[in-house]
Amino acid sequence: MIPLLKKIFLVDLFQGLWVTFRNQHPKHIYTEQYPIQRPKVAERYRGAPRLNINPDNGETLCISCDLCAKACPENLIVVTSVRNEQTKRKDLTTFTYDTSRCMFCGLCEDACPVDALELTQDFELASYTREGLIWDRQMLEEGPKPTQYKA
Amino acid sequence: MAAEPWDDDLTRALAQQFGNRVERYATYLGQKFLVAEMAAVRDIIEFLKLEAEFDYLVDLTAVDYPNRPKRFEVVYILYSFARNERVRIKCSVAESERPLSVACVHATADWMEREVFDMFGIEFAEHPDLKRLLMPDDWQGFPLRRDVSILAMDNRWVKENLGIESGQ
Amino acid sequence: MAQTFLDSNELVLNMGPQHPSTHGVLRVILKLDGERVNGTECVVGYLHRGVEKIAENRTYQMFAPYVDRMDYVASISNGLGYVLAVEKLINVETTPRAQVVRVILTELNRIASHLLWLGTHALDVGAITPLFYTLREREEILKIFENYCGARLTTHAFRIGGLQYELYEGFEREVIAFCDWFMPKVAEYEELLTNNRIWRDRLVGVGILNAADCKRYGVTGPVLRAAGVKWDIRKALPYSGYEKYEFDIPVGTNADTYDRYLVRMEEMRQSIRIVRQAVGAIPEGPIMAKVPKVLKPPVGEAYVSIEAPKGELGYFIVSDGSINPYRLRVRPPSLINLQALDQMVKGALVADVVAIIGTLDIVLGEIDR
Repeated sequence: MIPLLKKIFLVDLFQGLWVTFRNQHPKHIYTEQYPIQRPKVAERYRGAPRLNINPDNGETLCISCDLCAKACPENLIVVTSVRNEQTKRKDLTTFTYDTSRCMFCGLCEDACPVDALELTQDFELASYTREGLIWDRQMLEEGPKPTQYKA
Repeated sequence: MAAEPWDDDLTRALAQQFGNRVERYATYLGQKFLVAEMAAVRDIIEFLKLEAEFDYLVDLTAVDYPNRPKRFEVVYILYSFARNERVRIKCSVAESERPLSVACVHATADWMEREVFDMFGIEFAEHPDLKRLLMPDDWQGFPLRRDVSILAMDNRWVKENLGIESGQ
Repeated sequence: MAQTFLDSNELVLNMGPQHPSTHGVLRVILKLDGERVNGTECVVGYLHRGVEKIAENRTYQMFAPYVDRMDYVASISNGLGYVLAVEKLINVETTPRAQVVRVILTELNRIASHLLWLGTHALDVGAITPLFYTLREREEILKIFENYCGARLTTHAFRIGGLQYELYEGFEREVIAFCDWFMPKVAEYEELLTNNRIWRDRLVGVGILNAADCKRYGVTGPVLRAAGVKWDIRKALPYSGYEKYEFDIPVGTNADTYDRYLVRMEEMRQSIRIVRQAVGAIPEGPIMAKVPKVLKPPVGEAYVSIEAPKGELGYFIVSDGSINPYRLRVRPPSLINLQALDQMVKGALVADVVAIIGTLDIVLGEIDR
C-alpha cells in the first residue's frame, strides 16, 4: 500500500528535486561571472610582478642589487644601473621582467632585501603579442590595466 | 662526514658468495650501498632477491662522470618488504661496455633500463626490447650525458621536424 | 572450425595520445582480438620536458618550483619529497613547526589528488555526477593552499630547510572546518558509488594485479595496498614526523579495480584523521632551520622517498659539492605503475582498458617529466 502511495505522490521525484534545490542555495554556488564579477584572490596570491615606489617621494625602492635576477630560475629578470657619484649608490636605469617565461614561483620576491619587487594580486596578464609580455620598468611600476566590464 | 663501512650479516653473506667481485660495502647518511663489478651485478641482485628477500627494485638509474676511465655509474636501488631496508648497488660501466639486463629478475627493470638507454646510451645486454622510452625514436644523442648542452640540444630536431627556430 | 573461414588477424587500435580517458597524452597501442585485448604497448614521452636535465643547470633552491610541475595534481607531495632529499643531503632537519605544517598540507594534497582521481575515474566509467562533487570539495582545499602560499596548483609551498610562509590568520580554523565539512562528503560519494550496480559491474574483478605481480613490477601506492600488502612508506620508513600520528593503512583483498577504489576512499578518511591530529598540535617556534643561503651539499648521494598519493615518489640526488645537483633522478610512481598495465589489461575487454588506466591514477606530467 505504502509503495503504491509513494508512486502516486511521486515521493522519489520530490526527494530527488529536494537534493537539487538544496544545492541551489546561493551559499553553494561556485560559478563566477568572470569578466563582470572578478574573483577575489588570496592576499598572498602570486600574480603580476610590481616594482614598488616609495609613496613619500615617488622614487623607486629598488636598490639595483641584482639579487632577484640571480634568484630567478628562468633567468628572466634583467637589471641595469649606473653608479651615482654623489650618493655612492647604484641608480636603477632599466628593469625588464619577461612574464612569458615566468612561473610565479616567488623566489624573486623572497630574495628582494627591500621589498621592492613583489608579486601582486593582479592575475590578468594576457597580451596579444609576445613582446607585450616583456614588461619594462614603467609597466612594472604601473601594473597591468585590464579592461573593466560593466554588467 | 664521509661514508662509513657497512658490516652486518648481509655483507658477510655477500662477501662469502661473491668475494672480491664486490669492491666496497659502505653507508652514507645512514643509507647502505655497495660497489660491485659490472659483470656481478645481476648475480648479486638475483642473490639478494632469492636469499635476502630484496624483492622490490625501487629504482634503476645512471650517473655520468665523463672524466673517469669508466664513464658511467649504474645505480640499482633495492628494497626488502620483509627486512624494511634499502640497499643501493653501484657499478661502473665504460662507454663501450654492455651491462646485463636485470629485467629477467625484476620485471620493473624493463622500462627503467629503457630510460637509462634513452638518456645515457648505455645498452643493456639481453634486454627484451631496448629502445627509447621518452625521447622520439629518431632522436640523436643522449640528453642526460654531462657533455650535452641543454641549450644546443634540440636545435636540430626542432628545425627538422617543426621547421622553426628553437629560440634557445 | 569457424576460425578457418574468418580472418583472424589481430586488430591494432591506437588509443591516444589525444584521448580523454588516458588522462593526458598517453598513447596505448592495443592489440585486439575482437573485443579482447591480447597485448598493449605504451608510448610515453609526449610531455617530456627534461626535468632531470634542468636540475643539473639550476641551484638547489631554484629547482624547487620545477618539481611541482611533474605530478601537478599533487605538487605539494612532490615538493616535500624534494626538500626532504636535499635536507638529507645537507644533513639538516627542519623545525618541528615546519614539519607539522608540511604534514597538514601534504595530507590535504593527498585528499585533493584522490578527489580528482575519483571524479575522473568515475567519469571514465560513466558516472558524471561525482566529478562535480569532487571538484567542489577540491576547490576548498585549493583555497586553503591559495591562502597559505598564494598558488593553487603549482604551489612551491616548501623551501629547503622549512617553510617560506608563516601560517595565516585562521588557518587552523579553516582546516578544521574543512575536515568537519568533508567527512560527510566522503559518505556521499560512497552512497553514490559503492553499491551502485553499474559501478560494481564495471569495476569488480577488473584489472586484477596480485601482490606477487605488484612486487615484480615495483608497483606501489594504493594499487599495492589493494593487493593486500600492508605497506606504506609513512609507516615503514617514516619521514617528516609521521611516526607521531595515528592512522591505519587500508588494504584490499581482491586486488581489483573496485578494491583500489575502496582503499583510496579509506585513505582520504585516514588523511583527515592525520590532519586533525596535526592541526591540534602545531608547535610554536621558527619555521626555517638554519640553512646557508648558498647551498653546497658535501660530495655524496642520497635517495629519499615519500608516500605520494600515487605511490613511492623518490628523489636520488648526487652532489659534487657545487651549487648545482650533479645528477637528480626522480623515481616517478606513475611511470613504474603504468608498466603493469600490460599485465592487467591482457584478456580484458576494450572498455575495461579505460577503467584500468583510470584505476592506476597516472599523471602524465610525472611519467614523462
